[in-house]
Amino acid sequence: MMRSPGLSASERLWRGLLLVTGFGVLSLMTPLLAASFGAAHIDFNQVVDVVLATLGGERPSSVTARIVMELRMPRIVLAFIAGFGLAIAGAVLQTVTRNPLADPYLFGISSGASFGAVVVLTLFGGAGALSNALSISWLGSVSLPMGAFIGASLAVLMVLALCGRAMSTQIERMLLSGVAISFMFGALTSLLLYFSGPQAAASVLFWSLGSFAKASWSGLGLPLLVVAGATVIILLFKRQIVAMKAGDETAHTLGIDVQRLRLAMLLLCSLITAVLVANCGGIGFVGLMIPHMVRLLLPGRFALLTTGLVGGLFMIWVDVLARCLLSYQELPIGIITAVIGSVFFLFILGSKRRG
Amino acid sequence: MTSIPMALSAQHLSWRVGERAILADVSVELPQGQMLGIIGPNGAGKSTLLRCLYRYLTPSQGDITLFGRAVSDFSARSFAQQVAVVLQDTPHHFDMTTAQLVALGLTPHKGAFSLTSDQDKHEVRRALATVGLTALADQGYEQLSGGEKQRALIARAIVQKPKLLILDEPTNHLDIRYQIQILELLRSLEMTVVISIHDLNLASALCDQLLLLDQGHAVAQGRPNEVLTEQRIAEVFEVCCQVSPHPQHGNPQINYFYGYHNVTQGETP
Repeated sequence: MMRSPGLSASERLWRGLLLVTGFGVLSLMTPLLAASFGAAHIDFNQVVDVVLATLGGERPSSVTARIVMELRMPRIVLAFIAGFGLAIAGAVLQTVTRNPLADPYLFGISSGASFGAVVVLTLFGGAGALSNALSISWLGSVSLPMGAFIGASLAVLMVLALCGRAMSTQIERMLLSGVAISFMFGALTSLLLYFSGPQAAASVLFWSLGSFAKASWSGLGLPLLVVAGATVIILLFKRQIVAMKAGDETAHTLGIDVQRLRLAMLLLCSLITAVLVANCGGIGFVGLMIPHMVRLLLPGRFALLTTGLVGGLFMIWVDVLARCLLSYQELPIGIITAVIGSVFFLFILGSKRRG
Repeated sequence: MTSIPMALSAQHLSWRVGERAILADVSVELPQGQMLGIIGPNGAGKSTLLRCLYRYLTPSQGDITLFGRAVSDFSARSFAQQVAVVLQDTPHHFDMTTAQLVALGLTPHKGAFSLTSDQDKHEVRRALATVGLTALADQGYEQLSGGEKQRALIARAIVQKPKLLILDEPTNHLDIRYQIQILELLRSLEMTVVISIHDLNLASALCDQLLLLDQGHAVAQGRPNEVLTEQRIAEVFEVCCQVSPHPQHGNPQINYFYGYHNVTQGETP
């Protein structure tokens, strides 16, 4: 896997072409293939027919068409957006903090989000039993993501307030305050769960492990907007972000406002993560693992779009696994990504020791 | 002196941490195209002075002007277009190749979204050729030797196309061949250069001007033969030495004596 130093120009061109074609084919085939997996048996040809018919302006009417277009496709798109967003957030945070273990959840986001979700579930869920069924379902679909988003934002704002503006201590303070705030929200969450019913605990657990089951076309707007907008902003600052690799003081001498860039990137990545956590729950390891994988593939480059693409495709296939591994129920996404992620890191450790 | 344009001028610079002055009332001037060596014992304030010059630290007092313009007037980016800095702070796990590192010098010259043009690539290649690293362009930076790393960093600074080049102890940890090579490379660039350096003989041989610092104060500034006297070296560095003209270039050549406590100045052991 290590880079061979003396790659000739033609070899590199060949490798680049291979990568581009490979990704092209994968990106095109993945959604279609992924849509042919699931509880209802719909084969690949049917999926292609349905998608072509819908693209041709036809409204999905048959059961098959509706399963593909209204259940599976939004789910696949949400999985792609989530994977894309988490992977680029991880890549950016690892670069600007120069910490290979940085990940979108490092700054207390997931524990803040869990806390928000638990507050909604225990306070409003309990009160919901008194009101009618309509408002319970309304609370369930709107308030939990909302609560998670508020909790995540709160955690990030606290980290930002604590990390200060002194360049020499900024990274350390960021990481340490992230850890402290994670513990604090974790404790508050446990406290609330301890005093609430087992049902709330179960739903928080399920939510925090991540799922795309609630995906719908109408719910895709905000995640898409945030991830796309953040990606454009990150691409605008790409050179500056890459220059941060050379160290804070050197980055300063290359004309970069180091503290401000780092705070802005933390804020942007947190926004991505908070929106995704609120919509899909906590999906770990993707933001940590995918950037490392892409770096092994393309050492030294800051291949942001490739990282996002790999993350998105990876997430679609993880979701397929989540739907298909057990015949009677879905597995939470977070469990699968954690298993793959830990095995991946053991593999990397092993190959590094040999190398 | 008045006819030569001053590239760099610092007046009455001070930098304090609490009550302690790391730099106290240091003034320095450097004409365009010359090389200034900053010398002095450990803790004299060499790095702090350089950090003030490249705006990493804001001096508690004093003014710095670059080509007649106050450095505080420059934006971060336009300052980086004028001043390149070579430091020793490259982090661990630095996964770029030599060419990628050198290309970082383009950063202050490129706008958002702008791609690396053929012209840029040409400049990177030319800088690599100037420092003699063409063959190692695709080698990982971490795999380079100490001297090669230093040359790669200088190539990055060349790509930055600065008017002033600042280097913080670029000859540290290098063997004597690389020390001479690095300094002669800097001379060949014909830029205005400020460099902090420990080896007095090297500074004497290759700098136009020297600034001797001691405990934050400027002890002397001038040509090597004005600054490097036996008396000053004895006072500032607390060693005994004999200064004589170098047989090749005529600048001061310093011979040190050992067993300082038993020897008074002027006597040979």
